[in-house]
Amino acid sequence: MAANAEAPPPRSNRVQAWVYAILNPLIESLRRELQLLPRGNLSWRFYSRKCEYIRPIVEYIDGDQLPNLEDFLADRLNEGFASYFDVHDSNLSVLETSAAVFFDGLTHSRRFLNEVEKAFDEYKARSEGKPLYPDPALIERDLPKYVAEYLINKVELLPSHYMTHKFWEEFRNRFELSVAEFEPYGERESFQKFRQSVLTLNGISQELLGGLEQHRYGLCSTYDIPAAPLPVNASHGVDAYIRNK
Amino acid sequence: MPTSATSKRHELLILDTGPIRELVLFHAISEFRFERLRAHLRFIDDAESYRRCSEFVASYSNRLTTSAGVVVELYHWIRETDERGRNKLWGRVYDEFRNMGINEEVVKLLHMDPTFIVRYGPVDGSLLELARRHLPRNPLILTADWPFHGECTKSGFRVSHLDQITARTA
Repeated sequence: MAANAEAPPPRSNRVQAWVYAILNPLIESLRRELQLLPRGNLSWRFYSRKCEYIRPIVEYIDGDQLPNLEDFLADRLNEGFASYFDVHDSNLSVLETSAAVFFDGLTHSRRFLNEVEKAFDEYKARSEGKPLYPDPALIERDLPKYVAEYLINKVELLPSHYMTHKFWEEFRNRFELSVAEFEPYGERESFQKFRQSVLTLNGISQELLGGLEQHRYGLCSTYDIPAAPLPVNASHGVDAYIRNK
Repeated sequence: MPTSATSKRHELLILDTGPIRELVLFHAISEFRFERLRAHLRFIDDAESYRRCSEFVASYSNRLTTSAGVVVELYHWIRETDERGRNKLWGRVYDEFRNMGINEEVVKLLHMDPTFIVRYGPVDGSLLELARRHLPRNPLILTADWPFHGECTKSGFRVSHLDQITARTA
């Protein structure tokens, strides 16, 4: 069956649904991605091996709005976005995989593990009789994994109430500054691939965001709809999209 | 009342839902830019109050809460937020529990004083039961609920309100 042959009418409900349920959440989410990616704050977690807050496009849309996403992608007015979304998602997957490869390399590097162990022993010695240091026994488990995760996410300072706060405050520089691109751990190549994947996704998200913002402006001006639903009592009869939540 | 992780570390902090929720929220907003959540914040509204609260919690070597009561309250709160962000908020709650090293202790109904349940409900009742159970460790309950704060005081338990921790005069 042919995609929509007729242009939607002014103030079309369908177009409003695309703007409010698809474009707005995606624009908001991509703006957030673009605040996190340049800082290297990927929210990558070793236990899930995923970025918690940088997600595939479909996860930025409310579950009950997925039919509107399908409708958006099916209509030729929105041509090109399906492949844009695929590029974003496949590059996110590349980033997550390259972070995992780098993580695995680090946490299997004897030298890295020795470095963490040495730092932990020093931490234990420093913490004796000092109530400010969280109990070493509480941070020992999975410490190499946390260190690798913090390096991946470029974590600088942790909140004081985190158990690894003091350890990271005192030993972060040892892991970051004593190695040039992780060469001594044999992970220069995986680090470079990982770093490149962050830059690539940043570029793709930037391009996609620009495209979505422009498209929203185009739809809103062409179909005479506001870029966000008006409060019901101020809509003056505009067929506003109303969330019934 | 301890106000920061200065020189002394205290033994046991029992966390009510409110402080956990505020720590989760502020971190989500400041670190991960979930600006829409700002409207849910009640006590930790800037970096300074977050720092005060974080240091206060850090001054306790053990943090304890009660499952499933507090977790169910977190669940009810998250259910009221935007559907799209719910899985991310749960991710933040998991991160917060993991990073804070919170211990969870189950308090069975049959172990709670029926008068506690009648007066405070199961969540506050189980927090008070935790405090009673760990009395030799001189626990302090941290809450964001003034009526519960009053009940803790009346029952003779040490308690602080989040407002007292985050206030500039704290």
